Amino acid sequence: MAPKSSPANSATAVNAFHTLWKAYHDNTSDRLKFIDSFLVFLMLSGIVQFVYCVLVSNFPYNAFLAGFSSTVGQFVLAASLRSQVNPDNKNEFKEVSPERAFADFALGSIVLHFFVYNFLG
Amino acid sequence: MFSLRRILLVAVGLASLITAKSSSGDSVLVVVEPKRQDDFSIFYQGLKDQGYDLTFRGPKDEKPLIAEYDEVAFAHVVIFASETKNFAADITPQSLVEILKLKTNLIIALSTKQTPLSLLAPEFSLILPPPGTPLITYFPKRAEPASLIPITPTQQDATNILSKTIKDGRPIWFSGVPQALGTNPQLVPILHAPPESFGAEIDGGSPDAIVDSADKGGEGLWAGSQLSVVTGFQTAENSRVTWVGSVELFSDELAQKVDANGVKSGNAQFALDVAAWTFQESLVLRIDKVEHHRVNETEPRELYTNNDELVFNAYISQFNAKQGVWVPYSGINDLQLEFTMLDPHIRTALPPVRGVPGKYSVTFRAPDRHGVFKFIIDHKRRGWTHLQSSVTVPVVPPRHDGYPRFLSAAWPYYAGAISTSVAFFLFSAIWLGGEVKESAKRPGKAAKAE
Repeated sequence: MAPKSSPANSATAVNAFHTLWKAYHDNTSDRLKFIDSFLVFLMLSGIVQFVYCVLVSNFPYNAFLAGFSSTVGQFVLAASLRSQVNPDNKNEFKEVSPERAFADFALGSIVLHFFVYNFLG
Repeated sequence: MFSLRRILLVAVGLASLITAKSSSGDSVLVVVEPKRQDDFSIFYQGLKDQGYDLTFRGPKDEKPLIAEYDEVAFAHVVIFASETKNFAADITPQSLVEILKLKTNLIIALSTKQTPLSLLAPEFSLILPPPGTPLITYFPKRAEPASLIPITPTQQDATNILSKTIKDGRPIWFSGVPQALGTNPQLVPILHAPPESFGAEIDGGSPDAIVDSADKGGEGLWAGSQLSVVTGFQTAENSRVTWVGSVELFSDELAQKVDANGVKSGNAQFALDVAAWTFQESLVLRIDKVEHHRVNETEPRELYTNNDELVFNAYISQFNAKQGVWVPYSGINDLQLEFTMLDPHIRTALPPVRGVPGKYSVTFRAPDRHGVFKFIIDHKRRGWTHLQSSVTVPVVPPRHDGYPRFLSAAWPYYAGAISTSVAFFLFSAIWLGGEVKESAKRPGKAAKAE
């Protein structure tokens, strides 16, 4: 995610974002960054669909609901996966191994997509 | 083979000679005073030549009955007893209306006397002058009395009924009562009075009576060419009744009359033309069948769906009195079809199909409404048989799977859902692939590609 520059006080703001970005870049494992990029993709896809719905047409409303909720649902599942495989949260999810977390994620996603495609057409 | 065909042709020709020339039967009852029965022999002979069976009956005779137990014994009834005040029990205005309902056709002659039949005429929107008031005119100058009038049919008259009379171009001699016409659209004025003619009290009426009744009726005096002297009326059942201002119109005397210039009378042909129309020979149409189906199909459906493209076909025949057969008729140019649920949702022209005689066809889109609809043809033209047809069909909304499935407007949503799935599979594959690599070098930082 690119740092944004605040017009009011650009020097400190840029500095703060730069620091944040650098800290994220250095301290986050590649695995979590990979999940984050997936999350960003889902968010952009959801925004595009919502804007299209508002500006152009929500006409096949079921298709909008299916497409939009597939991105939202996938986002939620991926975010859950991220929190469960994050080594910092080990104390929270003592009995959930990363493999178990991914299996839950995969199963949840498959069920989600099943519903999405049923609702799409 | 050839001779066999010829024999067949001759047989068919003979059969058509003896079959009825009317589309509704060939039995005719003539109610006439016995002493006047022979005055109309030319008219009778004309009917017999057409193939009609005539039965005669005096107005006071009990037999033969016109109708018994709602079963009419004759297809057509001619009442020439125009001056009779007392008829047999079964000839009353009510019974005449009853047999009209049972599709029997009537020719009724009127006279200047007041009779039960002249009291029936107002029920058919004919306004008769008071008794004793025949039509007279002093034009053209002639030797005959003023009440004997030569009438030449004009464009104002029923030219399609009188086509043969008009072709002959002979005058029709008339002596009798005129009728002012009400506004009833079922009236078919066949022959109008000449413009210079008027009703006058020369036959025992009084001038006061005619002025009084003209004021009362609000019709003005009985004068001018808006008066009719022979008037048809077609009922809702398509039976026809013709009111004739005088029985003399059919008499041998006027049929054989030759005027001062040697021009023969047109009465005989006129009488036959009037009888042909009244007895359902001319201007008779029928709807043979109607069809409806969706475009590109041939069979009707039990249900139609909103916005279906529908085809409606009607096949119409006209009766050909010469051969006594129904022949396909494509001559109607103003036929309309209505697709109706309470109100006509669609009213469209039903034009004849070129190259297919008698077929009328239209394609239209069913309205975006569901309900019980009717295809309705309701064609009423003066003088012609009324054409009526009604077919009921339900129009239903599309079934749940009858709507279009994938719409181009929704492609962003489809793309969103598909890309999410593809991304999920890629993510899973890389995650699982990376898992192996990462477990191998877990001590260090995992190197992962997106």
